[in-house]
Amino acid sequence: MLRANAITKRFGRTLALDAVDFEALPGEIHALVGENGAGKTTLMNVLAGSLAADRGETILDGRPLRAGSPRAALAAGIAAVHQSPMLFERMTWEENLALGGFDTGAGALDLDAIAMRARSLAAKLGFEMPPAGATVENRSVAERVRLEVLRALSFNPRVLILDEPTSVLAPSELAAFLDLLRNLRGEGRIVVLITHKLAEAIAVADRITVLRRGRVVARTTPAETSEEKLAGLMIGEIVAQPAASATPPHSGDPVLQIEDLTLDDHTGRRILDRLSFRVAAGEIVGIAGVDGNGQTELVELLAGARRPSGGKITVLDGSSDGAMAVIPQNRDLDGLILDMRLWENLILARPLRERVTSHGWLDTARAIDLCRELIDRFRIHVPGPETIAGALSGGNRQRLEVARAIASRPRVIVAHNICRGLDLAATAEVHRTILDFSAGSGAVILISSDLDELLAICGRLLIISRGKIRETNRGERDPERLGLLMAGARD
Amino acid sequence: MLSSIAKPFAALALAAALISIVLAALGASPVGVFAALGEGAFGNWYACVDTIVKSTPLVFTGLAVSLAFSGALWNIGADGQLTIGAIAAGAIGPHLGNFPHAIAIAIILAAGALGGAVWGGVAGWLRARRDVNEVISTIMLNFVAVQALSWVVHGPLMEPSRAYPTSSPIARAAQLEFYFAPSRINLGMILAVALAAACYLLLFRTGAGFELRAMGRNRRAATFFAIRIPALTLWVMALSGALAGLGGAVQISAISHRLYEKLSPGWGFEAIAVALVARLNPLGIIPAAILFGALDNGSQAMQRTQGVSPELVQVIQGLVILIILAFDTPAWSGLRENIFGAPHDAAAAAPLAEMPDA
Amino acid sequence: MLEAFLTSAITMATPILLAALGELLVEESGVINIGIEGAMLAGAFVALAIAYFSGSTALGLAGAIAAGVAINAIFATLVVNLAVNQVVTGTAVSILALGLTGVFYRKLFGVTGKAFMVAPIAKIPLGALARIPLLGPVLFDHNGLVYFTFILVPTLWYVIARTRYGLRLRACGERPEAADALGLGVIAIRWQALIVSGALTGLAGAFLTLAYANTFVENISAGRGFVALSVVIVGRWNSWGLAAASVLFGAAMALQFGLQALGTVVPYQLFLALPYALTLVVLAGFGGQAAAPSALGEPYRRP
Repeated sequence: MLRANAITKRFGRTLALDAVDFEALPGEIHALVGENGAGKTTLMNVLAGSLAADRGETILDGRPLRAGSPRAALAAGIAAVHQSPMLFERMTWEENLALGGFDTGAGALDLDAIAMRARSLAAKLGFEMPPAGATVENRSVAERVRLEVLRALSFNPRVLILDEPTSVLAPSELAAFLDLLRNLRGEGRIVVLITHKLAEAIAVADRITVLRRGRVVARTTPAETSEEKLAGLMIGEIVAQPAASATPPHSGDPVLQIEDLTLDDHTGRRILDRLSFRVAAGEIVGIAGVDGNGQTELVELLAGARRPSGGKITVLDGSSDGAMAVIPQNRDLDGLILDMRLWENLILARPLRERVTSHGWLDTARAIDLCRELIDRFRIHVPGPETIAGALSGGNRQRLEVARAIASRPRVIVAHNICRGLDLAATAEVHRTILDFSAGSGAVILISSDLDELLAICGRLLIISRGKIRETNRGERDPERLGLLMAGARD
Repeated sequence: MLSSIAKPFAALALAAALISIVLAALGASPVGVFAALGEGAFGNWYACVDTIVKSTPLVFTGLAVSLAFSGALWNIGADGQLTIGAIAAGAIGPHLGNFPHAIAIAIILAAGALGGAVWGGVAGWLRARRDVNEVISTIMLNFVAVQALSWVVHGPLMEPSRAYPTSSPIARAAQLEFYFAPSRINLGMILAVALAAACYLLLFRTGAGFELRAMGRNRRAATFFAIRIPALTLWVMALSGALAGLGGAVQISAISHRLYEKLSPGWGFEAIAVALVARLNPLGIIPAAILFGALDNGSQAMQRTQGVSPELVQVIQGLVILIILAFDTPAWSGLRENIFGAPHDAAAAAPLAEMPDA
Repeated sequence: MLEAFLTSAITMATPILLAALGELLVEESGVINIGIEGAMLAGAFVALAIAYFSGSTALGLAGAIAAGVAINAIFATLVVNLAVNQVVTGTAVSILALGLTGVFYRKLFGVTGKAFMVAPIAKIPLGALARIPLLGPVLFDHNGLVYFTFILVPTLWYVIARTRYGLRLRACGERPEAADALGLGVIAIRWQALIVSGALTGLAGAFLTLAYANTFVENISAGRGFVALSVVIVGRWNSWGLAAASVLFGAAMALQFGLQALGTVVPYQLFLALPYALTLVVLAGFGGQAAAPSALGEPYRRP
């Protein structure tokens, strides 16, 4: 039995975990649910030894676990599959697995033997393995998840903790994955599934623990609860799902034209393959796809961070300066400079910078005023424009980026997974902002892996898969069908 | 704000303590050495002025380094850039005899800036277009510059009697004259201070300076906002080189009046210590340069009276840099207080991103 | 003539290659050590000082190893434990070593200008191999350090590419947070790489004073440590590539003397500048960082 007692963890002034008690039994799938920021990943890191808690202890089968040591956790039998990728891209998959438990540690390193053991375990789980000697960097996201699960299982762990493993799987791959979890449960292991997807939790878990703002607020079972109740527990109140604006945004004149856009990486591998589409004023165009099919690179091209290998991006009817505002997926690292103050982050956007600059001279006072204005208008909860961006919570950082995008008065806003990690209220707020923007003749390209979001507010829907893009028609706007397309099924 | 002034002082205090240990190992008296340093640097009016004279090249190279470092461009080549600037000044200087004084000065200084700009620009181009690590390229260019200087003073620019390996003296018109002779106060110092102010304005009051700092703090994010990294890299390195080259020209024009081997006693490396003590702030460069200029000046007295060789100053430079960096470690400082910005790894950002809305 | 040139090329290449191999280990673990020049200089000085005063070359070599390790330990404390900027720290370490060796050199040997010579490390001709025409003297008539360096090339290749330890090393340089999550111990591994590299770089410095110049002059390393950094890049982080690049630079250095002896009209400074200029040219052609370990140079600390 895995038990965590009174785990408390602070980051600076924020209390991430507040005397959390958690318990999971052998032969059980225990779901840990909560909004982002609730503390789920922090708790997992404590259990897996990556993080040392300030107070409290973890006990496995009656023996206390040494805190802050992943090695101790692995030795005790706790293995984790983290949310952020933990594979070594340039190494082969055999080498990646060799760093797990398939290597006996005795004698010379024998990659062939390791590969054999991996393949046999994979066969039992119904996985396919990549070709021999393939490096990880070219593998699809789903394959990587499988490799990480395999590596975790190679330690033959008593406890397997998975942090949001399904967020990168296509809907069609989900069923197989949940079956895998059931198999593991059948073997008597303890499976802890961290997720914010309530449908999955109810479908596969035996027990569910709900975290909110670092505290356990409920312990329940699927039989005793429902998605609505869980959602309510997660955010502390029942919030009516924001009704998506019923009027499909009317299409104005075309604003952005993408023609045969192609991108090859430095090894010659094709990442984006002759993308062509156009976006009109007032439209919200969704691009649906599972992470890793070229979306990040497309955003980089649109932001001008990278040059295409072929094709054109044309802004019609006007200059291309400041025509596009981009909100990258990796908000903290790509969208903000955490060391700089809020107003400095604001003027990262060229149109805003130009507004407060004349003949090259930067008017600091005006920039600060502009920041103050936007803080009020978009209700960002911060002490003031001079606050360091790194001190903001995730939600407020997102508000800042959305505010910046809107304030730069672009023709097109490109948003990538804009609501990932936001709670329901914040998500609703962002969606309202986007709808308002498009109602005012702005165009939006919404790139996301969240079908619910896309179906709710997008007028047109495109699917991106393996670097190719394809328009969908009215008849295909059904989650199951879309899920298959996202996974790359042929028509 | 307070801590950003307190830290350099604490660093210097710790450096003094460590130096004392080294001195003890050498059999010298720490008190005696520090006293000699102080005496040599500030003991009398002439010493003070000489300290200022010795600080002047450090202001130029210090500005060069701090500007580049602000953009996360590791310019270790200020020595080479200064040298090439000096060569340019020393080459054109002798031919400026017929020009009015102000024009001659302008030309000789412009030559120095141009020479340094080219030398810095080469490294900038290599980084921008060929992805060559500028640390290595600037260091290599340092060595090439040393040989170039050696060649010109033994060869094409050698003075006519061919008796000594120096160049012909520059024309009187091109010499920055001294005020309050026999002190060596000259216009070059004024220029240095003016440039420090200009660099401050550039860095903190212009759009270009903002882009430079953004690139320095988070290069990848900068690319998402249409900040053209290759072009920025090139002009920052060229500007940095120009500042160093200008320093070389001022040395030639005001002090040495001709070229000779080993022109720079390591000003380019010393500039790194200067830049760090100043926390990369151009205005802070002036007091920092005076500090290290004082050490340079005092070291001669130190050698004379205490028998400790002047290389001790390099030991001090190295220790000061290391201590400042150690105090600056992200493990102990908050985000804003770092000179170079917090490491941008996912692990550092993740816990913060997880925080619930306040 | 050709024989003398090639032998000289190998001799010149050895200290560079030795230091570069050490740096390869360090960079594979994710750290870039500009302080390599300082470690080489420290090794050179300590080797000479100990050999001169004790009369024992072996003690000199041991001292060089200790000096190199000590310099790298200072670097490691700041860069690995405190996660500080690697480039500036390395530069500071090199400046520090330059100052320390200068100060202690003056103290120990005075300013008389007299050269303090030591007996060179004995050459060990490898019997019949050394008698092969041309190749024999060039490859098989050197001192032990050269042979050691020869052997080190395939050894390091094997260790890095094929052993468990090499795998862990590369994991640290590829993605340190993942390596830590697997319990590999990034800090320990990076320290180990820096210590081994310190020993190798110290030996490289010792080669300069005990085998090559047989004395010490200020800044005797003259940038060879920095050239070693370029060798790692040009060699694409591969032992064999490093060996080839080192020989190339060694040849450029050897060229200085050969062509000077010819008494050509070309100024001698050109030849002195040649290795450094060549480094630049080669880097311009082959100096991309694309083959570098992914996390190279990024400060890392455990969350």
